[in-house]
Amino acid sequence: MLYSQWKWSRLIVFFGALAGFALPLVSLQGAARADRSPLAAQDLLRAVQSWGALYPILAAALGLLVAVATWAPDHQGRHVHALTLPLPRWRYVLLRFASGAVLLAIPVAAVLLGAVLATATATPPPGLQGYPLALGAHFALATAVAYAVFFAVSAGTARTAGIILAVGGALIVVQVVASTANVDIDLVSPLRFFILGWAGPFAIFTGRWMLVDV
Amino acid sequence: MCRRLYVLALLTAGLWRPVAGQATDLARLRSRADSLSREWTRANAIADLADSLERERAFAGRDTIAVGALRIVTNPSPLPVRAAAELAWPALDSLYGNAAQDLARHPYIIRAFDPDTSVPRPAVFVGIALPWDMTTQALAALLVANPPMPSPDQTLVSWLDGTLRPGRRAVEERTDVYVQLVTAPSTIVRACFLGALAACRAALELQRSGDALDLWYPGAAERRALVTRSFADYFNHGAGAASFQACAAGIDSVCKTLLLRLPAGTLPRPLDAEARTTLLRAALRLGGRDAYRRLLADPGAPMGDRVATAADAALDTVLAGWRREILAARPPSVALPWWAVSLALAWATLFAACALRSSRWRLG
Amino acid sequence: MTNVIDIDNVHYRPGKGFELRDLSIHVPAGSIYGFLGPNGSGKTTTIRLVLGLLRAQRGRITVLGDQMPGDATKILARVGYVPEQPHLDPTLTVREILRFQAAFYPTWDGRRAEQLLDQFQLDGERLFGRLSKGQKAKVMILLALAQQGDLLVLDEPTDGLDPVVRRDILAALLEYVSQRGAAVFISSHLVHEIERICDWIAVMDDGRLVTEAPMEQLKSGTKRLRVSGAPAALGATPFALFNREPATGTTETWVVGHWKPEMAPFFSGIGASLEEVIDLDLEDGFVELLRSFRARPS
Repeated sequence: MLYSQWKWSRLIVFFGALAGFALPLVSLQGAARADRSPLAAQDLLRAVQSWGALYPILAAALGLLVAVATWAPDHQGRHVHALTLPLPRWRYVLLRFASGAVLLAIPVAAVLLGAVLATATATPPPGLQGYPLALGAHFALATAVAYAVFFAVSAGTARTAGIILAVGGALIVVQVVASTANVDIDLVSPLRFFILGWAGPFAIFTGRWMLVDV
Repeated sequence: MCRRLYVLALLTAGLWRPVAGQATDLARLRSRADSLSREWTRANAIADLADSLERERAFAGRDTIAVGALRIVTNPSPLPVRAAAELAWPALDSLYGNAAQDLARHPYIIRAFDPDTSVPRPAVFVGIALPWDMTTQALAALLVANPPMPSPDQTLVSWLDGTLRPGRRAVEERTDVYVQLVTAPSTIVRACFLGALAACRAALELQRSGDALDLWYPGAAERRALVTRSFADYFNHGAGAASFQACAAGIDSVCKTLLLRLPAGTLPRPLDAEARTTLLRAALRLGGRDAYRRLLADPGAPMGDRVATAADAALDTVLAGWRREILAARPPSVALPWWAVSLALAWATLFAACALRSSRWRLG
Repeated sequence: MTNVIDIDNVHYRPGKGFELRDLSIHVPAGSIYGFLGPNGSGKTTTIRLVLGLLRAQRGRITVLGDQMPGDATKILARVGYVPEQPHLDPTLTVREILRFQAAFYPTWDGRRAEQLLDQFQLDGERLFGRLSKGQKAKVMILLALAQQGDLLVLDEPTDGLDPVVRRDILAALLEYVSQRGAAVFISSHLVHEIERICDWIAVMDDGRLVTEAPMEQLKSGTKRLRVSGAPAALGATPFALFNREPATGTTETWVVGHWKPEMAPFFSGIGASLEEVIDLDLEDGFVELLRSFRARPS
């Protein structure tokens, strides 16, 4: 299962690992400069914060692409092969999930390695310090959540995906119509809070993605 | 001889007119000024009378609530005045110490009104009008933020960028100051962070100094950054563009010249008001119950001396203590708390479980 | 005689339109059971029900003695399945597919798989997605045979293949059956193919079973008769009358099923005369069966 998964996902994993390794190094490229001027701290934090916005995007992209690649061979064969294998279906799904998760460990490890290397070779100004492990863990969790979400969507029927999209679309339509009719209904804020709030499924994508911070 | 006398007489007559005219103008102007002064005095007296009448009206038929030295004059209503006062008084008392007793002579005047009525309310000239559905917390915050204390001297107000009020987010303020100490683009601020108390004195503007620019931004890189980042729009246009470019290219003398041309008071301060406020609060805590009175005692003294007098300790002692408090308020690290990790793992598990239960496996 | 597949009064309706009604099929052990029917008659649906890919709304399905879909895992370990369309990962090579499949079947015979690889002249290092249609069909048959199961379920395995490939596949199938004594359940709309290899046959049409019988019985029992002088109204007949058409004069052409020679005196009993008995091949018999089945009132 892992081998077949690797054949589908190797390019995604390779480029994801490359990007993940390079991102911390690029974000700290000015940290070790010799002048050590008082501007260094602000400049460094600004650069780290800007580049930091790419980590959740990379995590989401990796999660999506690997999840889609996980189910691609089964989608092609309409799941007939999987359903006629002599093992319980939940076990087959678990094997698929685990194989994708194992492969995702590669770009996560690349991010961690890049972060450790970047902070080890940089000399941040006084008062700032590196958080390579925290960043690596943050990235790992975000990737895991994204992968699980898209894995579940890909494993579901088109009808299920359609229902989810329809509900979301309906909420937006109701909000737009209510706004046009000057009716005081706010559906978007509670939805945003539910999804991105501290307990929401995508809360892990928010927060500070800082390799170096105060 | 006669001719000289005649010319002299003519000259005298000629000069006499303007001199005489000037004297007339002066007298007229003096007379006008006296008249205006009398009008001004009369107007003030009428305004004072109006104020006192309004105060009389405001006090008439009202209850006076006393908590500590707080006095609140208000009409009977559901507004939780006493409860709010009981929350506000300890904060005021702990900051102002014995000076808070002055509040007994300066009561709050509150007119509570029904927020649900559409009956027009009479104008309030003295005190404040508040809806009586205000919460205790909100009213307490209002009382703390607007104590009717006598205004301190202008030097202190300028130094603090306002007046000193009890803080409601002391920890957050210290955290903000910590971040400033680490990230401010200023050599002296960084030196202060690293422990140089002299630099802290300069950064907190505790000493009188002739040249703020040299004191606050001694480095060429800092000055260049100020011109090219903070004041780029101000300098980089018209006739000043060439100088701006020269400064950006690294000619420090040009940068200095440009910065010295800034209007008074526009040169950015190395640390903001929050830093100075936290220092002052630390000094008042150190100085005991009469600290605030001692702070206000000598408005002409340098701020550093006033702070030391308020704290009843050497300035460096106060600064060292303040710096320790700030360093202890370092913001939490970016590492995820355990509950965020648990939540993320729980969501991932939940979605994976949804996949296991998917009905997609049925082809029909 | 035990059956490898028992489908009893199964009812399945996926939505409006098509419906499997009161389906009962019994596949004897060791038989090659042909499942014949036109396109859209429900053959593939029946196979999916047997394999647990679909769940019947009513009825019972027993495969190799176990209930489907309750014991699906146990059953599928002993069943080799070849679907109508290729269902394997196109990015894997043939050898990789064999390795993948072998991991799930404890009875997998690797040596036999290699033999079949040679026999079918397949390149083990070629990607499955790059194979021709015939080669893909061979790979799927190879997997089913190498699993060494007790039942093979084949859904139109030779559809669209050239005669050479078809011959290779059928030969391998027969060899497997003779060596293992396994049962084969094969669906097709190619009558000649079914006729050649099957010893049992069931005919489906529009979601209903038309008939189920041993092949010889169906073939030998389906005849075209030339009859003259038969009355318009007939009573009960000892054979199944599928069709009755006028020919020339008073002569009629009858298509009957379950015919036996000793039924000839029936005609003299009704005042008619049996002129000729003509054998029908399976295809003609199949067509007549369907025609009479469709003509019956629902």
